[in-house]
Amino acid sequence: MTDDTASAQAMTDEWYPVGLISQLDKTGRQTALMGEPIVVAHDADGQALVTGHNGRRLPVKLRYGHVWSSLGTPKKDIFAIPEADQPGRRFVDVGVVRVRCSPLRAVENFLDIAHFPFVHTDVLGAEPHTEVLNYTAEIRPDVDEVWATEVKFYQPQASKSASGGITTEYMYRVPAPTCSVLYKTCPPRPTEWDVITLFVQPLAEDLCDVWPWMALFDDETAMTDLIHFQQMIFLQDRSILENQVPRLLPLDPGMEIPTRADLTSIAYRRWLKRHNYTYGAQLVAR
Amino acid sequence: MRSDTTGFWTPVALSADVLAGTVIPARVSAGIIALWRSQSGHVAASADRCPHRGMSLSHGFVRGEALSCIYHGWSYGQDGRCVRIPAHPGLTPPETIRVTTYAVRESDGIVWVAEGTPASDPPSLAGWIPLRTLTVEADREAIETAAGASASADGLLETTRADERLCLLLSPSQQVRTGMQTVTHVLVADGCLPPVRIAASRSAERLRRMAETAAEKGRLP
Repeated sequence: MTDDTASAQAMTDEWYPVGLISQLDKTGRQTALMGEPIVVAHDADGQALVTGHNGRRLPVKLRYGHVWSSLGTPKKDIFAIPEADQPGRRFVDVGVVRVRCSPLRAVENFLDIAHFPFVHTDVLGAEPHTEVLNYTAEIRPDVDEVWATEVKFYQPQASKSASGGITTEYMYRVPAPTCSVLYKTCPPRPTEWDVITLFVQPLAEDLCDVWPWMALFDDETAMTDLIHFQQMIFLQDRSILENQVPRLLPLDPGMEIPTRADLTSIAYRRWLKRHNYTYGAQLVAR
Repeated sequence: MRSDTTGFWTPVALSADVLAGTVIPARVSAGIIALWRSQSGHVAASADRCPHRGMSLSHGFVRGEALSCIYHGWSYGQDGRCVRIPAHPGLTPPETIRVTTYAVRESDGIVWVAEGTPASDPPSLAGWIPLRTLTVEADREAIETAAGASASADGLLETTRADERLCLLLSPSQQVRTGMQTVTHVLVADGCLPPVRIAASRSAERLRRMAETAAEKGRLP
């Protein structure tokens, strides 16, 4: 097996979000997965059905509000999010934001806090509170996931339910090449974490559908307002993601300059390279 | 007409269109650049890419004497050196962090940019004042045909429309996604009155339509 086929196979065998369970219908959603046109529908018995090229049946799973599928043969189950089974949480299907960028750039942006004061001004960050304090980022060998912990940042309005500026604590987790789970200070319940995820469907190497999903402790805010808040955040991110050059994520050093604030991104790029997760990446040798 | 503009001045914008404290995208033969004017009035030009995460700098903002990237606020001086990384306020950015810069001149109300080191000054536009800039979706040849006149080596094309003298200052034509494109600055005789300026503006728009119509016909199979 050449390196090229090895890297193509590594990401082909992963699970990806391809639609919302709540929006399954008989007609089906015409979409794509890594360049292949697919249809996401339910059959006469109400079972979810994902069909690929020439009508081939693709694997299907229903998890975290979304339909998941794969072009290959997944070797593992979809990653676990224990909080998804925790009583008292509200689950929010935020919907979809299409972004003309690499699916890997979309994930990397989600892992970044230093842009908050400039891109999400007066919401997730504000000058002069721009400093990124030291935090820990690592590839955890036992679970083979990227983790960033002890991430702290001052936020004028950390969430829809926040009533003023607070220093928010974050933990990030990358359990799959195009998925990330964020654990964030939960203002109404200081002992718990709010969960915000980013599930990215790679349509092509430079085009993706971003499906954010949340599991929150918030019984007050209207569902519409929760969705609007998160959509606003992701639309602000889109204005950045569609104007980065190159569109693909550079995995080799030299093309871009990281600093200490980018430790999570450095670990993520290293982890992608280690696993040949290079769909949407740019390598010097390419 | 020169095809290689290295070492030659390219007219990229009217001075009046680059306000103090703003940045705009401009086009040279190497592609898009970030053209900006500091608060104190100095014009500078840099590559349109922040070396940190590849974000377009022409989407950025100008504060004081520096251009900042809109993504993480990394700031660059007129010499291209990174002067500030907001995520690390106490850090003096290493000298190695910089953006490529271009030579800039302002003369006769035009901002000129060069990718190399030109041996001479930008051409003189004595007797003319700049009116507006049009981006024509056609190459220089189509504009010359529409105007019934040829441009000089400096890109100056003089013509008479409805008894009024009009001068077009043509940047080198560029291949873009949609076809050929020519940034065209419209000049009028110094001292002419507002009605003449309005007429000149309309004349230039008619020339653009003629050139674009001809270019579109040329693209049809």
